[in-house]
Amino acid sequence: MRKRGLGFYASIYRKILIQDLKSKMSYRADFVISTFGMIMTNLAGFVTFMILFHNFPTISGWDYDHMLFLYGFSLVALTPVQCFFDNNWNLRFQVQSGDFIKYCFRPVNVFFYFMSEVFDVKGLGQLAFGIGTIVYAWIKIGIPVTPLIIAKLIVFLLTASLFMIALMNFAAATCFWIKGSGYVMVIMFRFKDFAKYPSSIFQGIFSVIFTFIIPIAFIAYYPSLVILTPDNVPLLSWISPLFGILFFYLSYRFWMLGVRKYDFTGS
Amino acid sequence: MDGLTGNEAVVMRNVCKDFKVLNRHEGLKGSIKDLFSRDYKTVSAVKDVTMTVNKGEIIGYLGPNGAGKSTTIKMMTGVLEPTSGEILVNGKVPYKNRTENCENIGVVFGQRSQLWWSLPLIESFKLLRDLYMVPQKDYEEMIDLYRSLVDIEPVLHKPVRQMSLGQRTLSDILAAFLHNPPVVFLDEPTIGLDVSMKSKIRELILGLNKEKNTTVILTTHDMGDVDALCRRIVIIDKGMKIYDNDIDHLKNYFGSYRTLKLKLADDTWEEMLIDEKTTDVMDVIMAKQKESKIKDVKILEISTEEVIKKIYEGSAK
Repeated sequence: MRKRGLGFYASIYRKILIQDLKSKMSYRADFVISTFGMIMTNLAGFVTFMILFHNFPTISGWDYDHMLFLYGFSLVALTPVQCFFDNNWNLRFQVQSGDFIKYCFRPVNVFFYFMSEVFDVKGLGQLAFGIGTIVYAWIKIGIPVTPLIIAKLIVFLLTASLFMIALMNFAAATCFWIKGSGYVMVIMFRFKDFAKYPSSIFQGIFSVIFTFIIPIAFIAYYPSLVILTPDNVPLLSWISPLFGILFFYLSYRFWMLGVRKYDFTGS
Repeated sequence: MDGLTGNEAVVMRNVCKDFKVLNRHEGLKGSIKDLFSRDYKTVSAVKDVTMTVNKGEIIGYLGPNGAGKSTTIKMMTGVLEPTSGEILVNGKVPYKNRTENCENIGVVFGQRSQLWWSLPLIESFKLLRDLYMVPQKDYEEMIDLYRSLVDIEPVLHKPVRQMSLGQRTLSDILAAFLHNPPVVFLDEPTIGLDVSMKSKIRELILGLNKEKNTTVILTTHDMGDVDALCRRIVIIDKGMKIYDNDIDHLKNYFGSYRTLKLKLADDTWEEMLIDEKTTDVMDVIMAKQKESKIKDVKILEISTEEVIKKIYEGSAK
């Protein structure tokens, strides 16, 4: 049998992406409106952030520039889930209507095929906004620019992304078992807002929950500590890439288990 | 599996499929109870079905709604695993290696397009070519074959989302045959289509079956499809196979049945199905004549539709 390796999947994804972008460009009004909406969403988030800081000069010992870095970090880390895994939001509709079965008839990985169907361009604006914020905060704080630090930044941004993707996979895959999975997804998605704040503001039980049960502390806080406080990096930060890979893998297995468990009853 | 000749496209032996269904209770109290309930009952969707489909055959897989047709198709396509029994499609167990099985089958689930919604058909074809790793030469040959069988130009550059239902079904069927699979499953392909589109689609399926010797397993409620395409039919009801034979045999079997149509005094037609072996048609007409004046009489051979109805009803007893 012919093998379908990583190269095959990359080339298929690229082809689907090009076709998808082509067809999106053909809806000009839709494209313009969603771009405008995306800018407004980001601005609104930023303004909230500014107002908050106007009133509290430091949060849990973090000053404005460090918080800004964390904010930008979380924006960039949330980009992949927005761009590449947005179809998770449609999963429950497709599962409930039975349309999901069509993804099982192609000789490719079901998870890949499902996610490849949607690429959300809006995420790119968020990426640009996030990078801008990181660069600004970077200069203000005066972090040196060395290849090692840049490499660390990229590795830990990817780590943070994996956590967010995994969270949404888990939340979306609940639809294979329960009907009200929409709420699960919305709750998970809301949780990401907490990622913009240093985890040290959460005390006791919340700190445990947000670190080990719903690991949003890994979406920005722990990974960014590697850059922000290079002299005092907690162990959790260093092992977060391993955690990220493991967590993503588990979420993928959970998602696929859902596909297998699902009865596809009715026609 | 033993006793195979190598000419089989699909083999099913003693296949059963059970589903576990929660026993639901009524009212708010019942819903709360259900939350914690482990009270499942087992529903058998398919019971002990054995059948063989040979290469190049077009078979009609029929049955009333809820008979277990879709469940069988889902098992043959590798989406569902049978509870017990054996299935071989193209000599392999479909659910054990779903990806490999998918390379060798084509599937059309009527009314559910599997194409990329926003893409023109030709772009979908190119993506499918790459997904199934079809060599460029074979791909071009297939497109040429399509051109010779049906006028594809009007749909080729149209996004699927802008197509009429007929065009979309046509596109889905073309897409299912694109990688030249040995077996194609068509689930109600002509549902909701107009008469001319139906016949166009039937011609296309016949043409592709003839050119490529593709095995076609067709589920439908439209007896026109059966008459036009299938030489053999398999009927299941309540999960059990109740008929499996040639369509000619079917007509012979019910050959003594006649449809008698009588036009009564008030200009209404009364229709009845009569078995000539047990009842004399003339007796019926004479009996009726005593009740009302008869203006016109028609005696017709039984149609496939009525034969099937008869079988469905027979199994319901």
